[in-house]
Amino acid sequence: MRLTAAVVFFIFTLFSCSDGKLEETKDPVSSVSKDSAPANRSERPAANPYNGVDVSPMDMVYYPVDYPKLKMAHTLTTPPLARVIYSRPHLQGRHIFHEVLKYDEAWRLGANEATELTLFKDAMVQDKKIKAGRYSLYCIPHTDTWTIAINSNIDTWGLEPDTARDVARFIVPVVKTRNSLEYFTMIFEKKDPEALLLMAWDDVEVRLPFRF
Amino acid sequence: MKKALALLFVFQVIFMSLMAQTLPPVDKSPMDMSYYPANYPVLKIQDKATEALAARVVYSRPQKAGRTIYGGLVKYGEIWRLGANEATEIEFFKPVKIDGKKVAKGRYTLYAIAYESSWTFILNKDTDTWGAFKYDQKKDVLRVSVPVEKTTEPVESMSMGFEKTNTGFKLVIAWDTVKAGLPISL
Repeated sequence: MRLTAAVVFFIFTLFSCSDGKLEETKDPVSSVSKDSAPANRSERPAANPYNGVDVSPMDMVYYPVDYPKLKMAHTLTTPPLARVIYSRPHLQGRHIFHEVLKYDEAWRLGANEATELTLFKDAMVQDKKIKAGRYSLYCIPHTDTWTIAINSNIDTWGLEPDTARDVARFIVPVVKTRNSLEYFTMIFEKKDPEALLLMAWDDVEVRLPFRF
Repeated sequence: MKKALALLFVFQVIFMSLMAQTLPPVDKSPMDMSYYPANYPVLKIQDKATEALAARVVYSRPQKAGRTIYGGLVKYGEIWRLGANEATEIEFFKPVKIDGKKVAKGRYTLYAIAYESSWTFILNKDTDTWGAFKYDQKKDVLRVSVPVEKTTEPVESMSMGFEKTNTGFKLVIAWDTVKAGLPISL
């Protein structure tokens, strides 16, 4: 009986926790973006004759983290340092290895267009100086490390990177996580004095360090 | 019994730590990009690009989701971010002309003001910002008004794409039952 009560209590706290978290993630968005507020979704969406919404949606991350929001709030007056634009494939029941990616084969770090890195000023990436500018990014995953390449071939589709145009290559360690991440995710993490570009999918995470 | 409770506590801590993950969720209004020439990245890998890269727009795509868009969500006569989330960015890879005015190559923010029969497009120098909440008219590069057209069928997710014209190209923006084009000449 006490066990049943404990289980009920456990489930209750679990749900209250997840509700709280949902509210938390929703708030920063709804407070600033009126036009992505939830609405009646029961209507069948009309077909889009122009440009259908992609199965792997695009996303964009800045360093400093959340730069556009900080700029809007006037808490930052300096220019941004870096930006990544990438598309976000999802697992849909697959495992990252080997059902989506293969070890030792180049991957565009995303989907569709080649993933783009903009450095708004010169940066040290690991121990190499990379000049300000736009680049493409891709990786070659291995079991314990990933090779990350910064490449000068931009505005291109991501399928076959032009390795002859690599600007630099970096080797970063793989960190295994206990949980699986459904959508491929890139984000800058502030870890003074570095900015870490996190690349995470399924149970794998790698981080590339930048200094500005 | 104590063991069972302790075990439950451990599981709960694990579950809560999983939920406390701070990675960004997928946006309700996903981002997208369009190039001129249209589909430039695909043409490029197929060696089929016949024109040089001229422009790119990066925007987020709100959905109609049963709502009244014009005169409702998008108020007539008010500044509109022409998308969702981050301000819509248009980049020119070479100098262009809009409404007879020279526009240097570079990145700009694109806003609009919708009216019932026309839209005013606004090219602004303040980039890398969020929405139109801190729109600063002093940073305008130019404004141009264009008539709106009706779409043949309602467009659920806001769409942007470039189309070739006699003098260059235009950025066509369609959402719900309205579309408008920003003419750009080379």
